[in-house]
Amino acid sequence: MSKDLKNIRDKVMGEIRHGDLQMRPKIYFIAGSILVFISLVLSVLSSVFLFSLARFSWRSHGPMEQYHWDQLVAAFPWWAVIFAVVGLIVGIWLVRKYDFSYKINFKIIIVGFIAATIIAAYLVDIIGFNDLFYRRGYMNGLYGQNNGQGMMMNGGGKFNYYKSR
Amino acid sequence: MPENSTYSDEEIIEKVRSEDQELYAVIIERYQAKLLRYATNLTQDEHNAADIVQEAFIKAFINLRGFNTKKKFSSWIYRIVHNETINIAKKYRKETPILENVDFKSEENIELNFEKQEIAEKVEKCFAKMQLMYAEPLRLYYIDEKSYEEIGDILRLPMGTVATRISRAKILIKHICQKI
Repeated sequence: MSKDLKNIRDKVMGEIRHGDLQMRPKIYFIAGSILVFISLVLSVLSSVFLFSLARFSWRSHGPMEQYHWDQLVAAFPWWAVIFAVVGLIVGIWLVRKYDFSYKINFKIIIVGFIAATIIAAYLVDIIGFNDLFYRRGYMNGLYGQNNGQGMMMNGGGKFNYYKSR
Repeated sequence: MPENSTYSDEEIIEKVRSEDQELYAVIIERYQAKLLRYATNLTQDEHNAADIVQEAFIKAFINLRGFNTKKKFSSWIYRIVHNETINIAKKYRKETPILENVDFKSEENIELNFEKQEIAEKVEKCFAKMQLMYAEPLRLYYIDEKSYEEIGDILRLPMGTVATRISRAKILIKHICQKI
């Protein structure tokens, strides 16, 4: 084993002396951390937004109206749910990159992360964020697909109110 | 280099980063034997272990500026070796041998004490029959004398999980050793 040990030291130090091995600059790690953090925040925000959009769409169709189930399924923004779930998975993967994450049981992190995202999405919808976006016409492409269909299905509700204004 | 022996790992790393890259040799000297033993225990193959340790020192050097000197360098370098070993094991899963007889490696000269060696060999046989998820924390705790917190840092596990695995590993090794 001593031969192995000497070889390891000589080989590594030889590469360092010849300049074959170079330390990565500090900025590489700082930039990496910032990017991971930004990605995590964006992933959480997009998940919250898309879940709240899905809930908004569900609510606007009237969850108890069984007879319009097929239309509801057809009009429901499944893509938003899929993207929200993808956002969650990416978010959980990014959380794993943080140093503290392994100190806590990872199952708790996953459950906590999903619960926090869904609760935040619920709150965002409850406080009227989606209604505000819909009323002001922001992101018509996202909210617009509920136009008409929602009115037909549950008699309008908020949509009718906003449309009639 | 004698004055360097008084410096902690983290102080030497700070010097390597800012002043003198030659001091990295001190770090290699301090850890290579321990890491080689650790990697050999994990892979059951000395040559693979030497490659893993060499690669770990190279990776550690490249990423040295990313190391937080407020944390323990030993946990960091053990973690790199652990990752390298897992990568190699995945790559050569079919080639990784499960040896029945592996010499127990230690910095102490155990050859002088036959009885001790016999016990050590028996323990090593028991370790070889254990699942890695139990054997690794147990080795780190008893052979490498790491604390639960350090083992958690190396294996990226919560302390509670480390404690549970070590506790189960003790029961397992007792059962396995009784059968051998």
